[in-house]
Amino acid sequence: MMEKERRVSQVYTNLALVVDDSPMQCKVLSILLKEEGYRVLTANDGARAIALFVEHQPDLVLMDINMPVMNGFQAARQIKQLSKDNSLCPLIFVTSLDTEQAYVDSIEAGGDGILVRPFTPAVFKAKIKSIQRISDLYRQVKQLQQAQQKDAELAEQLMFSVIESRNYGLDRIGMIKDAAELFSGDIQLTALNPNGDLNVLLGDFTGHGLRASIGAIPLAEAFRAMTNKGFSLNEIVAQLNQQLYQLLPTDFFLAAAVVTISSQENAVYIFNAGLPDVYIFDCLGQIKNKIASFHPPLGILPNLLTDVSTHVQSINDSDRVILISDGIIEARNENGDIFGVARFEQAAHQGVQDSNVNYYVRSRVTEFCQGLPHEDDISLIDIPCGDWQSPLIVNTENQKHHKIPQLIDETDPLWHWQLSLRGQRLACVNPIPIAMSQINEIEGHSEHWQNLFTILTELFVNALDHGVLVLDSMMKSSDEGFSQYFSERETRLKHLTVGMIQIDIRYFKVPDGGMFVIKVKDSGEGFDFSTLDDVLNGAEKQSGGQKNKFSGRGMHLVAQLCEQIKYHDNGSLVEAWYHHCVDSMN
Amino acid sequence: MGLDVQELAQDNTVVIAIKGRFDFSLHPQFKDAYVNYTKDNMTFVLDLKDTAYMDSSALGMILLLKEHIEKLSGTLKITHPTDAVYKILEIAQFQRLLTIER
Repeated sequence: MMEKERRVSQVYTNLALVVDDSPMQCKVLSILLKEEGYRVLTANDGARAIALFVEHQPDLVLMDINMPVMNGFQAARQIKQLSKDNSLCPLIFVTSLDTEQAYVDSIEAGGDGILVRPFTPAVFKAKIKSIQRISDLYRQVKQLQQAQQKDAELAEQLMFSVIESRNYGLDRIGMIKDAAELFSGDIQLTALNPNGDLNVLLGDFTGHGLRASIGAIPLAEAFRAMTNKGFSLNEIVAQLNQQLYQLLPTDFFLAAAVVTISSQENAVYIFNAGLPDVYIFDCLGQIKNKIASFHPPLGILPNLLTDVSTHVQSINDSDRVILISDGIIEARNENGDIFGVARFEQAAHQGVQDSNVNYYVRSRVTEFCQGLPHEDDISLIDIPCGDWQSPLIVNTENQKHHKIPQLIDETDPLWHWQLSLRGQRLACVNPIPIAMSQINEIEGHSEHWQNLFTILTELFVNALDHGVLVLDSMMKSSDEGFSQYFSERETRLKHLTVGMIQIDIRYFKVPDGGMFVIKVKDSGEGFDFSTLDDVLNGAEKQSGGQKNKFSGRGMHLVAQLCEQIKYHDNGSLVEAWYHHCVDSMN
Repeated sequence: MGLDVQELAQDNTVVIAIKGRFDFSLHPQFKDAYVNYTKDNMTFVLDLKDTAYMDSSALGMILLLKEHIEKLSGTLKITHPTDAVYKILEIAQFQRLLTIER
């Protein structure tokens, strides 16, 4: 009850603290202040003044300069120290020392004004009013600032629930995110492609705070939606760039590195647009490669530059890809030295060896900065390259219903969908997400679609790479050949003017679910598909070995997933039957 | 610290020199330095030889300057960046967006 009364009374009347070693002077000033509506406390020396200040938190202090025990300047310094982060409590020196030096010293000691005796009551009251006006203004600013802080906290909470909480694989991906301000300009996204590939984005918006985070939500939404639909890294980056270009003002952009880890291909795809080097470490902590930025940040140009290409290279399961923002490299200590690339590499080297990159990098940066707060956001993502392929729902031999093909009347599908792409359109349109969205629209969502996505992707990529672009899959059997393969692929795609691929999907009702009959036809010459016999009959599984690590893998997987695979037209038409068994899904 | 504007009238050229840190605190001054030049076909030179440091908002300010100049069909070039500053321009691949003379 006492508490409440006191708080209420404080709201309505201001409290002044008068400090003077002459009780007479205290009395005179108290009377004048009371006439102005103040409640008044008095102290006769500096030390007592500080004690009263701490206890009562007054709204105004009037301070004599020459006093016993502790003089006015000393007391003022301590009072200003104590009220530093709280509201402004104006402090006025009242003195008979009419010298320039007294004036200068008063302000130096933290005083907000000086009143030189003798003065009339009118002058005194005017001075109090003017100082009170400033202090009211200060209070308003403080309140606004607090309101803003609350908004920012709310925004951060919202942002967190939209962005970080929906990231994939956080149990295995290491992340550091230390924001320079409450609201970070750095964004970290991870999502899983239906084929098991992992997509990761580390972005750094221009500036910091709320301003820097405007683009974060649409960015996260687009990144996730496109990954879930199975778009490739290049398509995702192109779309994000276009979206940010439309959304952000000219001087705002996103420096970002986007990475796809494909366990199925044992490869990493890297697009670095304005971030520091992206690192690939081996399991011993040695740097295998550094991929420097090769494109301006996203949101500056209306479209991606056409003469740059995604970096592709083969990786081992035990490798790690590490993304950082410039906040780590540019972290400064008291002497103004920067943490720098060498110290980062050293810390990451040890971190990879000890399987704790986060700990090593974070503690090395903290050690280096020695408590100096960082000017920029500090972000890192540490991604293990192995074991991302999520387990596929493979139809086991027992589940295969070899009689089903005979039960189907091929002229009578429940539905039929077809798309053909030619020339330029074939080079720039990815039909798989389009096909998947059709299937989703018609049959609804199912865990089976991951299998279907894998089958469609493999068949389409084979038709494009080998049928239309006439690339030799044997190229991919070595590490160097692997990168070469992709750059050659990109060149040929760019110059593609003829060539066609047709995708044809029919869906048939069968007793325990449905049967997808997928046909992919390309305009190529075909190939000797007898070489695939072993793969298709599952014999390759036993012969094992790593020799076909890159090239044999795709069809092997498709063969495992499908009821049957048939080649026609010299190998330029492939037909795959996928059984969508409803009962087995419980 | 700060910013220096020099007008070479005979060449139809404006030289903006940045001294010390090129960051958000220069925003109003930087804008004032070019916004009143509205003649067509002018050349703007951004002299960074005395620029010790540059942050991402400085890159943003350069993009604003570039936009202003492109509206006037003028040209923009950056001259003599220090190594530290060039590194920042290079990471952002600004050499693909405008002329940088080292």
